[in-house]
Amino acid sequence: METKVLNNATVDMQNVDIKPSIIIDNVSVTFDTAKGEYTAIKNISLNIKKGEIVSLIGHSGCGKSTLMNTISGMVIPTSGSVVANGNVVKGPGPDRGIVFQNYSLLPWLSVYQNIFQAVDSVMKGKSKEEKKELVLKNLEMVNLMAHKDKNPNQLSGGMKQRVAIARAFAINPSILLLDEPFGALDALTKSSMHVELLKLWNLDNRNKTIVMVTHDIDEAIFLSDRVVVMNNGPAATIKEIVDVKIVRPRNKKDITHDPLYIETKERLTGLLFDKFSIND
Amino acid sequence: MRSQAYKLLVLDDSFLMQTVRNAFYFVCGMCALFLLWSWVSHATLNEIPGVAKTWEVFKALYADAFYFNPENAADEGIGWKLWDSIQRVLLGFTLGTIVAVPLGMIMGSNKMLMNILNPVVQILRPVSPLVWFILGQIALKSSPGALIFMIFITSLWPTLINTSFGVASIPDDHKNVGKAFGFSTWKYVTKIAIPFAMPHIITGLRLSIGIAWMVIFAGEMLSGDSGIGSFAWESYNGGNYENILSALLIIGFVGVMLDKGFSALQQSFAYDKK
Repeated sequence: METKVLNNATVDMQNVDIKPSIIIDNVSVTFDTAKGEYTAIKNISLNIKKGEIVSLIGHSGCGKSTLMNTISGMVIPTSGSVVANGNVVKGPGPDRGIVFQNYSLLPWLSVYQNIFQAVDSVMKGKSKEEKKELVLKNLEMVNLMAHKDKNPNQLSGGMKQRVAIARAFAINPSILLLDEPFGALDALTKSSMHVELLKLWNLDNRNKTIVMVTHDIDEAIFLSDRVVVMNNGPAATIKEIVDVKIVRPRNKKDITHDPLYIETKERLTGLLFDKFSIND
Repeated sequence: MRSQAYKLLVLDDSFLMQTVRNAFYFVCGMCALFLLWSWVSHATLNEIPGVAKTWEVFKALYADAFYFNPENAADEGIGWKLWDSIQRVLLGFTLGTIVAVPLGMIMGSNKMLMNILNPVVQILRPVSPLVWFILGQIALKSSPGALIFMIFITSLWPTLINTSFGVASIPDDHKNVGKAFGFSTWKYVTKIAIPFAMPHIITGLRLSIGIAWMVIFAGEMLSGDSGIGSFAWESYNGGNYENILSALLIIGFVGVMLDKGFSALQQSFAYDKK
């Protein structure tokens, strides 16, 4: 059932077998702050298979974003290493698409231009026509063709997030990193975005590896193959990794009655909200 | 009844009503100014000319605004004098902008350069523009040149400071877009840094042109080289005090126009309000 991490240095053996997309090896991150050194995460090891969807969950400030940023290359580990697609991560790269927490669209560019500039920057070998086509294809995929000439602040939160997702998909990365992507959305929009994200993942033959930071248990279960529960920081570690065995395709409505869903949710709730329990 | 009241309320907020109201406020303000002026004129026993007398002189100046005497370059209408001043300000201001914007961008994006240049800026900024005029005169041996140099220096600071502040305050969110999608330096500068800093840059330009326009008057009084400032100085020497007040009104009017122009530019670049 769950893969237990008895000791943080132990690599999650179950997933070492085929084509690891991401290998996080004994990673620690320490920041220099005004009050001295702050260790956000400590000795974390985690392997993620190609095409797998993994959620990182934990309380605020537990370092889940920091851990994901070591994959994106926005943060370089103080010790240990991260290997993505066979290369040691030394900085951000086009093989890893990022969807930021607050969309991070450039407010002075139209929806079309926001995606085009990313494509233009990454796909250097393509002609202007090909780039244009790629942008339009991705806008079509997230149903935003009608809004392509609008500025981001004319869009609702859900639409902005779809632009951000289209932008990340447009550069066709093999790894997609989502940092609390739906945190600012209302519950209804959030649910439809979950379905849309899985649709996009399916369209791509489930080839993309997706790592998502979230603090929403339902979201984590609905989307993920595995949920990585983190301890509270500082010096956060992985508390436990919970497998989500619910078969795909998953149905937003039916899933809530699935015994596996209920069991997984109980397990995660227990892990997240009973912080006085001894590590079982 | 209620719907009627509602309609009135809506009408009250219409564009037309706003314009009428603003015009009314403007007239009120002007009346207050003229009253104060008349009082000062009265209190100084008409040493400072009153509104009516100034208006007479102003009309005469206006009628002959673009008169010129081919035999004597100094003998020209107020329009040409004003044009001389405007040209100097625009030239000095343009030169200042060409230096201040790129320098401000470099300062804003490089902490070390900021730390090196900031004390220099802070020391030079409070120096009176007239000191720069004198230094310009010594260095260039030309008073029109010195005037332009003075305008150049005075219009540097607000643009430099605002541009560097704008670039230094680019949020991490925007920078991260550049990092995540591997933007080249050129793309970063043109698609992220400049658009973000644009409102700050224009604020700087607006302050700069305001100061430049304020300073040209004093500079020309000192240099005596044509322009609206030297006109005022000559008028003082000739005892034509109405001329000075007319020049004051013209300076004020042109100043407002320049400011309105930059204010409109500012509006057009306010990306978050579009």
